[in-house]
Amino acid sequence: MIAWVVRRVAASVAIIWAVVTLTFFVIHAARGSPFLPEQSQSVSPETLDRLRRQFGLDRSLPEQYVLYLRNLARGELGESFVLRRPVADALADAMPHTFFLALAALLIDFTAGLALGIYQAVRERSVGDVVLGNVALFVNSMPTFWLGLVLLLGFAQWLHWFPTGGPSDPVLCPRVDSLPCLLDFFWHLTLPALTLGLVGAAGTARFQRAAMLEVIRQEYVRTARAKGLREGRVLLVHALRNALLPFITLVGLAFPFLLTGAVLVETVYSWPGMGLLAVRAILQRDYYVVTGAALVTSAMVVLGSLMADLLYAVADPRIRVRGA
Amino acid sequence: MNIWNWVALGGAAVAALLVVAVVRRRASASASGRRFFRHPTAAPGLFVLAFFVTVAVAAPLVAPYKPYQQIDIVHLQNRSPSTRNVLGTDPFSRDVWSRLAYGARISLGIGALAMLVAVTIGGAVGATAGYFRGWMDAALMRLVDVGLAMPRIFAMLVVVALWDHIAVPVLVLLIGLTGWFATSRLVRAEVLSLRERDFVAAARALGAGPGRVIGRHVLPNAAAPIIVSAALGIGNVMLLEAGLSFLGMGVPSPAPSWGNMIADGWPKIAVAPWSATFPGLAISLVVMALNAVGDALRDALDPRKEAV
Repeated sequence: MIAWVVRRVAASVAIIWAVVTLTFFVIHAARGSPFLPEQSQSVSPETLDRLRRQFGLDRSLPEQYVLYLRNLARGELGESFVLRRPVADALADAMPHTFFLALAALLIDFTAGLALGIYQAVRERSVGDVVLGNVALFVNSMPTFWLGLVLLLGFAQWLHWFPTGGPSDPVLCPRVDSLPCLLDFFWHLTLPALTLGLVGAAGTARFQRAAMLEVIRQEYVRTARAKGLREGRVLLVHALRNALLPFITLVGLAFPFLLTGAVLVETVYSWPGMGLLAVRAILQRDYYVVTGAALVTSAMVVLGSLMADLLYAVADPRIRVRGA
Repeated sequence: MNIWNWVALGGAAVAALLVVAVVRRRASASASGRRFFRHPTAAPGLFVLAFFVTVAVAAPLVAPYKPYQQIDIVHLQNRSPSTRNVLGTDPFSRDVWSRLAYGARISLGIGALAMLVAVTIGGAVGATAGYFRGWMDAALMRLVDVGLAMPRIFAMLVVVALWDHIAVPVLVLLIGLTGWFATSRLVRAEVLSLRERDFVAAARALGAGPGRVIGRHVLPNAAAPIIVSAALGIGNVMLLEAGLSFLGMGVPSPAPSWGNMIADGWPKIAVAPWSATFPGLAISLVVMALNAVGDALRDALDPRKEAV
C-alpha cells in the first residue's frame, strides 16, 4: 500500500512537471509580447528593451526555462509583468475565491444531485422520474456560462435579488472582516455557485439514479426488506452505502470539471478566482502567471484523482491494492 | 421572414421526421436497433439532430438574411422578435435567426469534425498501447495522464494564443488534438481484453500482421464503446467551442457560431436578451439530443445491460 502511494505521488509530480513545461514553452511561443499589447503603441523601444532585460526575457528560451525551474525548486513562481507583484501572491489571492466557489457548488451539486437521484430511483418510471430525468438531461446539456448569463439576467437584472457580479460590495465591504460582510460575500456567492452546482447536480442525479437502480435490484436489499426493516432504513442504510461507491469517482472527476467550468463562470460573474486570473494572464501574455496557474490547476486535478483512488480503497476492501 | 422561409422550415421539420421514420424502419430489423428505439428519448433526440442538420444544410433557404448582413444599423439594432425577425436582431443589427441557421453549419460542423479527429487519434493510440503493451503502452499512457491533468479549456486557451487570428480548420484540429485522451483509455481497456481472445490468436496464427489484426479483428469488436463515447463527445466539443468563442478565442467574430453569438449578445443582454439566449438554447437542445441518442446507443450496443 505504501509503495503504491509513493509511486502514485512520484507519478503525480512527473505529470505536473510535464504540464508546467508544456505550458511554459507554448505560452512563450504565443504571438505578441507581455509588454506591448496591440492597443498601446506608446512604449518606446528603449523602455521595452529595459523591461525585457529586467524580467530576463532577453535570454534564450532554454536559459529562461532552466532559470524558471531553479526558482520553482526554491518555491518561487516568478513575477507578474502586468500585476507587478509576485505570482504566488496573485495566486494566493485568487485561490480562496475559487475554493469557496467550488465548495459551495459541490455542496449544491451533491446534496441536490444525490437527493434527486435517489428519489428518481425509488420512483422509477413514475411521472416525477420521467420529468426530473428530462430536466436533468437538459440542464446537464447547457453551456455552464450560458446558464450563468440566464440566471444573471433573471435574478440580478430583472428581479434584483442578487448582485450582478464581483465577490463583495466594493464600497461597504472591500474585505470580509465582519458578519455583515460575510453575509454580503455569501450573497455574492449564491448565483455563481448555483450556476456551477445546478449543472453538476444534473449530472450527479443521472449518475446516482443508475447506481441506485443497480443496487436496489440486488438480493441483499430484498433480504433486508424481508427481515422487516423499514423502507427508509433499507434504502438509506443498506442500498445507499453500496450505491455511493461509484459516486466517489465522481467526486474526483468533479474537481477538474469545477475548475474548467469555473473559468467561464468566473468570467461571467467577474469572480476574481483562478479562472479569471488565468484567462486574463493568457490574454495579456503574463507568462509566469500562466505557468503558475497551470501548476496549481494540474496539481489539483492530479490530487483529485489520487484522493478518489485512496477513498475507493478505503470504501471498498475488494479494490484495496495488494502489495503492488 | 417571408412565406418561403416558413415553408422551407416546415420542410426541414418534415425531412427530419422522415429521417427518424426511415432509421426506425431500418433499425427494427436488428435486436440492437429495436433496443435503441425502445429508449424513450431516442426518437425525439434523433429528430432534433436531424432537424438542426437539415437547417444547417438548407440555411440559405430557411434564413431570410445573409448571416453577416447588417439590416439597418441605425433603426434595427436589438429589435425584439417580430414577424420580420422571428428571433429579433442582435446589437449589430443582424437577424438572430439567420445567424442561428448559418451558425448551425459551423457549430455542428466543428463538433462532428473535431470529434472525428479525436476518435481517430484516440482509437489509434489506444489500440497501439493495448495491443503492443510493454514500453509503448507505458509511454503512451503517461502522455495521456499529462493530457488529462490539464483542464481542457485551459489547454485550448494557451494553445490558441499561438495564432493571431485562428482559422476554423485549425480550431477543429486543435479541439480534436486535445480531446482524444479519454477515448484512448477506453479503447486501450477494450483492446487489452480483446487481444487475449481466441479469434485474435487465430488471426495471428494465419499470419496476419499487427496492422491487419488490429484493423480487421480487434477494432471492429471495440466499435460499440467508441461510437457511444463519440456521440457523447460531440456534445462536449460543442460546449467547448461555445466557451472558447464566448471568451473571444474561438471562431473569429463575423462568422456566426452559436458560441460567439452568445458573446456578441452578452454586453446587451439587459436590453436584448434574445440575441444571447436563443443560441444558448440551441446549443442546449442539440447537446441534449446528442446525450439522449448517446444513452440510447449505449443501451442498444451493450447487450449485457439488457439482462438487468
